[in-house]
Parts: sequence; structure tokens; C-alpha cells
Amino acid sequence: MGSMLNLNGVSKSYGGKTVVSDVQLSLERGTVAALLGANGAGKTTLIKCIVGLISFEGDIEVGGIDVRRHSKEARRQIGYLAQNPGLHADLTVGETAVFHAELKGVASRNARLAIETAGLEAHADKAVGLLSGGMRQRLALALALLADPPFLIFDEPAAGLDTGARLELRRLVQEQKSRGKAILLATHWLEDVPYIADQALVLERGLTVFAGPAAKLEAAGAPTSRLYLRLNGHGAEAMDLLRTMPRVAGVALSGDWLAVTCSPDRKAEVVETLVNARLKILDLRVDESRVEEALLHLRDGVDAL
Amino acid sequence: MNGMLAVLRKELHDAVRGRWLIAFAASFAVLALFLSVLQRGGEEVGAEGFTRTTAGLLNLCLLLIPLLALVLGAGSIAGERDRGTLVTLLSQPISHSELLLGKYAGLLVAVWLAVLGGFGVAGLLAALLSPLADVEHYLLFVGLSGVLASAMLSVGLLVSVLSDGRVKAMTAAILIWFVFVLFYDLGAIGLALHVTSSGQSLLVAALGNPVESIRILAILSLEPDPTVLGPLGSYLSQELGKFWSVALLCAGIMAWTLAPLAAAILVFRRQDA
Repeated sequence: MGSMLNLNGVSKSYGGKTVVSDVQLSLERGTVAALLGANGAGKTTLIKCIVGLISFEGDIEVGGIDVRRHSKEARRQIGYLAQNPGLHADLTVGETAVFHAELKGVASRNARLAIETAGLEAHADKAVGLLSGGMRQRLALALALLADPPFLIFDEPAAGLDTGARLELRRLVQEQKSRGKAILLATHWLEDVPYIADQALVLERGLTVFAGPAAKLEAAGAPTSRLYLRLNGHGAEAMDLLRTMPRVAGVALSGDWLAVTCSPDRKAEVVETLVNARLKILDLRVDESRVEEALLHLRDGVDAL
Repeated sequence: MNGMLAVLRKELHDAVRGRWLIAFAASFAVLALFLSVLQRGGEEVGAEGFTRTTAGLLNLCLLLIPLLALVLGAGSIAGERDRGTLVTLLSQPISHSELLLGKYAGLLVAVWLAVLGGFGVAGLLAALLSPLADVEHYLLFVGLSGVLASAMLSVGLLVSVLSDGRVKAMTAAILIWFVFVLFYDLGAIGLALHVTSSGQSLLVAALGNPVESIRILAILSLEPDPTVLGPLGSYLSQELGKFWSVALLCAGIMAWTLAPLAAAILVFRRQDA
């Protein structure tokens, strides 16, 4: 497997205001990278840089092709689904597919196949402007996949989709990944990130606040596992014990319950410490931090800068 | 190249579907026929029928073709930008230059078809009314109309690239049309009356306006005596001769076609989508 996308020091400014700053990323074939961040974090701007739609500083290579110097050739490698895909409303679904097939230089039979795959064959003669939002999104997705490109970029593909369509899209991402495609997915499906993405890149006001394995994203923001322990009146004693433990961020007593905040990999050790001290645990509840919380933490870090 | 041809075909398809092409050709034919009937002048029908029809069409063409070409060119890129389809187009394997040239070529073919259709129908009907004579001048005039459309479309496309919205682009296009078609003559007259009436200055003034250049080229082809053009005609006749006058005016028109198109490509390539 080779590298499909290489970002090296990518920055973008508008009128002196930096929107994306010094982003690094390498994405292998057959892997999915989640691009996360709040609205205005710079996700779409970064994607536009990769597609060669806007100028940028730094280096971007798609499939080994320099995007700045050979943007047209680089785009041949890319299937891009924009957040709000702009399609010609007056063209029919069939005409749109054929037009895009011609633009991509593929046979028009691929256009028919794409319409069938998107389940839009019954609407082939309907003007795109008359399609529902969901159907238009399906058409845009089919167009992105039309030339079977090795690199897919989906910018908020689930925006406006119902749960069924979202699940279908998630399945499609996994299927394309299994076919060796590299996928960059700007998304708000935070709960899916650890399961469908191999890597995560989190932007906040253009700055990279996390770049690494998606599985480590939850832990990256802060120690965010929280244990709630009912200790039969030995809360104060337990607090003294746990406060000295490494990577335990906080211990607080609230009535019968002791709340311990620690890194996810320290939970068992916390319980073991209490058991070894012969403190009887009457009840136990664990709250794992979510990706949302990790992101909030990461964003707080930028606020503090 | 595939992408450019796809864009060209789509522009033609849009022109036919939008019916403006047929509407323009039909309106042009009706107006041309009306002029032709008016200028027949009863007994004066003769071998010069086509020449007089052609001369009558001159003002009609100089008025309508620049307007059509400027407005179409101005709406092209700015319209895509407004509809949000420009990003979709540019995210395909097509370069900025190919997209722009594809649009230019598609619109140009559409305008040429409209002009040919209009002239064709008008010419056919005029031929039924007058004896077929001087077809050469008529065809030459069809060609000049096509050349004028090429230059004005190029200007329109530059306006489109420079505008951030369709309304602004259309407004700018109509202003340019006013300047080229209506105000320029007044400016030239003012120049001749108050600054200088030298043929050289008037020639420079004529080269600065593609509509004026086409008008002079048409008159030079229709009228054997260039002095009907006044001091400019005398200058052309004495200093340059007919061949070099025509060559210079053609070069001017070519510059008006190529320079705005090249500028549009340069600007468009540097723009963020």
C-alpha cells in the first residue's frame, strides 16, 4: 500500500487571516482519515486546497502528483463529494451523469451504471432541480464514484440525510475502504469515528489540535474516563489513596459517591488500589468520555493559547 | 481536451434548450426582412438589392450582436459561480483554461448558429424579393458579424471572470455595450471636432472599438470610395491603401478577440473557486 495523500505544511490565508495553518497528513491507500473540527475550523478550506480549487502554501501530493503544478491530473485521482454539491438544476439526472462522465473522460455506460447504483434509474429523465435533497445527495455521491477514483473526499456527506441513508453511507465508506480506496471524511459523525476511521485530523481555527490514530482521539483531549464508586462510608480514605496515583486527574466526593477522573487505561488500577486497601466497593459506574468531549477539550486548549 | 468538449457541448445544449438561440435567429430574420422590404423602394429593385439590404442590416447587426455576445459571455462564469456549480466543474479533471475555452467555444458556436440562422432566413426571403446579386457582400457581412460576435464574447467572458456575481456581470456588460455602441461615436465626434480631426487619431479611435472597426470594414467592403468615411476614409485611402487598411482593422479585431480571452484565462487561473 502506498501513500495516496501527503500534506506538508499546508496553509491558507485570506486577506492576512490564516484559515488553515501548517497542516501535515499522510494517508495510505485502504485507510480512512476523519477530518474533524467545529464549523469554521478550516475543514472545507483544507479540502478545497487538496482538490486544487484554491491556492495554498506548502505541498500537497495526491497519488504522488503535485496538486499545485498538475491539479488536473491530481483531480483524476479524486472523487469529491462537496458539502452542498452544486449541480445544474436544468439538466436531467441522466444528462448530468453523462456530462460528468464526459468531464472525467469515462464511457457513458458508466453514467448509466452510476444512476442505477444510486437507485435513481426511475428518475433518469427528471430535472435535477426537481429532486429531493436526499436524491440529489445520492446523485452527487454517484458522480463522485463515477470514474472509480482511488481517493475519495467526502465533505460532511451526512448533512441532511436521514438515519437510514447515513447508515448506508457508513457502509459505503467501509466498502470503499475494503476496496483499497483512501478516504478523507470531513464529518460530524463523531460516534463513528473510532470505528470507521483509521486516522483523525482535528482542526480548530485552522490549527491542528490532533493528528494521529483515530482510536487515540478520545484519550488525546484529556484523561476522560470517569468512575463513580459507592464505598460504604470510606470515601475520604479512598480519596487520600487515589490522589497520589499517577494519571488520576481528579477525585471528588459527592454524598456516598466518589467520582474519579482518570485516563482510560487507569480504570482497572483504580479499582485494584481500592480492593487492595480493603475498601469495599458497593456499587460502580463508569462513564467513558466521548469523542465530542475530547474535541471540546482540544478546542479549549486552543482557546488557552 | 475531453472536458473542454464536454463543456462546449453543454453550452450548445443549453443554448438550444434555453431557446434564446432560436428566438434571436427568428427576431433577427424578421427585422432583417422588414428592413429589406422597406429598402426595396418599389422601382429601385435591381442588381443592388442585396447590397442595400446588407447596408441596411449593418446598423441592426452592430446593435444586436454585441449585446447578445456581451450578455452571454458575462453570464457564463458569473452564472456558474452564483449557482454554486463552478466548484463542481472545477473539481473535475479539467483545467481552468479548458473550462473557460470550452465555454467560449460553445457560446461562440451558438451565437454563430444564431447569426447564420438569422441571416440565412433573411437572405433567403430577401432573395425572393430581389434578384440574387451581390451575394458575396452579403456572405462577407455574415462573416464580419461572426467576427464581431467573437470579439464581444471575449470581452463578455473577461467581465464574467472579473465579476463576483451574475447581476454585476450583466450590468457591466450592458454598460460596455452602451459605451461601444452608443457613446463611442459621440466621443469620436467630440475628438474630431474639439481635439484633432487627423485621420491617424480617428484610426486609433476606431481601433479602440471593435464595433467601430467592424463598421468600417463593412463600409470598406460595400463602398468602393473610402472617402465616404470622411477624414478617416481619406487617411486610410491615402496613407495605407485598402489592403493595409483592412489588414490593420482585422488585426485590431483579432486583438480584441484574443487579448480579453487571454486576460480572462490568466485572471481565472489565479482565482480561488
